[in-house]
Amino acid sequence: MPVRLWRTPLDAEKVKLPKAEIHIFKDQCKGCGFCIQFCPKKVLEESEEINAGGVHPPKIIDESKCVICSFCTSVCPDFAIFVVEKPCKKGC
Amino acid sequence: MEKEKVESKEGIEEIRIGVYVCHCGLNIAGSVDCEEVAKFAATLPHVVLAQDNRYSCSDQGQELIKKDIKEHKLNRVVVASCSPRLHEPTFRKACEDAGLNKYLFEMANIREQCSWVHLYDRKAATEKAKDLVKMAVAKTALLQPAEENEVPIIRKALVIGGGVAGIQAALDLADTGYKVYLVEKEPSIGGRMAQIDKTFPTMDCSICILAPKMSDVGHHPSIELLANSEVVDVKGYIGNFHVKVLKKPRYVTKDCSACGECVKVCPVIAPNEFDAGLAIRHAIYTPFAQAVPSTYIIDMNMCLNKDGVMVCDKCIKACDREAINFEMKPETIEFDVGTLIVATGADIFDPSALPNYGYGKYPNVITSLEFERLINAGGPSGGHLIRPSDMQIPNRVAFVQCVGSRSDKSGKLYCSNVCCMNTIKDSLLIKEHWPETEIYVFYVDIRAYGKGFEDLYKRARKEGVVFIRGLPAEIIEDKKTRNLWLIGENTLQKELYKMNVDMAILSVGLEPRKDSEIMQRLLTLSRTQDGFFMEAHPKLRPVDAATGGIFFAGCAEAPKDIKDSVTQASAAAARAGILMAKGKVTVEAVTPISYPENCKACGLCTKVCPYNAITLNKELKRIEIVEAACGGCGTCAAECPFGALTQNHFTDEQIIAQIDAVTEYDADKKIVAFCCNWCAYAGADFAGVSRMQYPPNVRIIRTMCSGRVAPGFIERAFARGAAAVLVAGCHPGDCHYINANYHTQKRVERFWKKMEQQGLNKERLQLLWASAAEGERFASKIREMQEIVEKIASEEIETGKKVFEKIEGGS
Repeated sequence: MPVRLWRTPLDAEKVKLPKAEIHIFKDQCKGCGFCIQFCPKKVLEESEEINAGGVHPPKIIDESKCVICSFCTSVCPDFAIFVVEKPCKKGC
Repeated sequence: MEKEKVESKEGIEEIRIGVYVCHCGLNIAGSVDCEEVAKFAATLPHVVLAQDNRYSCSDQGQELIKKDIKEHKLNRVVVASCSPRLHEPTFRKACEDAGLNKYLFEMANIREQCSWVHLYDRKAATEKAKDLVKMAVAKTALLQPAEENEVPIIRKALVIGGGVAGIQAALDLADTGYKVYLVEKEPSIGGRMAQIDKTFPTMDCSICILAPKMSDVGHHPSIELLANSEVVDVKGYIGNFHVKVLKKPRYVTKDCSACGECVKVCPVIAPNEFDAGLAIRHAIYTPFAQAVPSTYIIDMNMCLNKDGVMVCDKCIKACDREAINFEMKPETIEFDVGTLIVATGADIFDPSALPNYGYGKYPNVITSLEFERLINAGGPSGGHLIRPSDMQIPNRVAFVQCVGSRSDKSGKLYCSNVCCMNTIKDSLLIKEHWPETEIYVFYVDIRAYGKGFEDLYKRARKEGVVFIRGLPAEIIEDKKTRNLWLIGENTLQKELYKMNVDMAILSVGLEPRKDSEIMQRLLTLSRTQDGFFMEAHPKLRPVDAATGGIFFAGCAEAPKDIKDSVTQASAAAARAGILMAKGKVTVEAVTPISYPENCKACGLCTKVCPYNAITLNKELKRIEIVEAACGGCGTCAAECPFGALTQNHFTDEQIIAQIDAVTEYDADKKIVAFCCNWCAYAGADFAGVSRMQYPPNVRIIRTMCSGRVAPGFIERAFARGAAAVLVAGCHPGDCHYINANYHTQKRVERFWKKMEQQGLNKERLQLLWASAAEGERFASKIREMQEIVEKIASEEIETGKKVFEKIEGGS
């Protein structure tokens, strides 16, 4: 049905997707970049900083875009990243 | 009078032609002296009987022909009356009844292409009618009896499109007992009707009456439903279509119980197309609750796993029945059917093309389709008509009619047929829920033409809906309140209005599917100027396509409401059923005739045949023709340089006899026009039906396709001193023989080059693409050519004669 979709859906705010909390162990990272490459939402990028291993660990661009698929955790060879659901505070 | 004899199976036979000149009441006799034409016909070679009568097509008229065939031993008949596109079958039948082979009958079109287009020049029209009769008689003398091939019809049907029209057609055919394939490109059948809240004029709940039918389709043992699928290829001909359907993967198997657990965990959201973008859906979804098939589907453009890496498996984990399968691949399904119903529906006009209405910019300007989803209890607002800007129920609402319809400036020229009644129904729905709402309908004309429509219109007026004639010129938004100002002129009271409303609903029109061209090409269909598919005859064959075995249902043919769509669908099913019940069809004997002794096995004909009906046997150095596959365009005969091929009923000799008849007298003032049966000839007929007047010096020779026009015919016309030649066919892409008219174009271009090389004025040869609906295009071409003819010097014609006589003699 080629109707042009331009509006924000009326129920967009009602649909609550879980909010992510991303944890990165920077010093454990050896800079392979898998998490950055494979993140389907492109939440991560390489940071400027240099960690204990002498590489650039990833940094978070926009945590709200993360959908907690946890693929970064699966592909990280150094167990350096994991994601949990943000504990629900008031109003969510 | 010389009496030529022709050889036939029974031996030497004297040709005895009967000519009947029809008055058609005053339709012909009003501007043509029919008596004089009949007298003239009697002087023509082989004519043993010529008379004029009031209505040749009447029972008496037909009986007379039958009687004469027997009494006067007629073995050829010419009727000069209306277009053969109208009554050729009638007279052919009469001939057959009298024991005469129907291919020994010919018509001269002196109504659509003579009396109606030269209403005010009786002398010229009569002269033209004489010429047309002379041409028909010349061809008739050379006609040969032919037997028609019988082709079996596969007793299966394909219905393309699963809206209400496709559903109805599929159910009717399946209930009759035929196997039906129903192909729908969306994940569910249901179409537009599933999106609508209530139907007019009865205010039935749309999905409530549609859902049982959808469910019937899903469960019918004779229907194979292919949803989320597209027809990618159709080959073959009436009775024997070979179809390829691409079935796109759903990534959810039939084990799905539609429990919806997967949706809860899917982390990706997007606007739902079914709700016109007013509600969200997930990457795994079902478009709506009543969807058939009810199996969920994963939108792979959105799913996190779209790049082939299994990133997310939440739905897999949530599915108890293990119905999710990311390994599914697209499948191509092939099958054969005998008939085909096109029920592909229509698109909806996008009003952002009209910037003065602010759609897409002002949140409270919505379309009628968005309205349907808002007022629907199953929709995104639970049936509350709310303003998208603040979710408040509006107190003052305006409907704007004819958005995208009936306009030569913006949108389409035609009336979209459903919008007036849809608005009236919508206004009553608002009144039903919120009686205090003020409703204003801005319109051009209210068209309440159908059964029960006027009552509904009156009811709306009684309920206090205000109808104001005159569309707003502009809609402006109050930035603070998001209210809207509608500014325009009330054309009944001749005063300007500036109306403040909370919400404006644009009553958007229907337009042809954007991808109509694909369907048109696959099935070799033609379309009207509006872009909708064209029926074989607007009155008498309203659901048939010009291509045999194909029928139309619903908005694919023109915008129509649910009732009309269903009516047409049942009609299309019945038409398809007639063919399949019979189980066989006869194909017109207009197939090629080959003269193997002339064939050099060059293979040119095999290259131009659009149906691949000719193959070259390299070992035996000859061609082989599959008659059942032949479409009958004759382009092979036009291509053959050695005279080894000609077309039955349109032989080289017959066409040349027609050219010679035209050019016998006053050739230097005449235009010889070759028109294809389906578009240009039909367009010329349409010019007649519309009484468009054009110069009377054109003589039309009908061929099935413009691809039949061999360069030799054009040479002959010029060699005989014709002032100008017109080759006219369907628009490129609209050819009824797939692509045969591309060869026409090539041949004409080559001819132009030849003319240039010989120093001839190439304006004398014109090429025209005109559809059956483009009568004016045809008429204006003749007017334009008349100016060319008037300018041509006699020396130019003489040079042309010499050049082409030489070429003709040489070849």
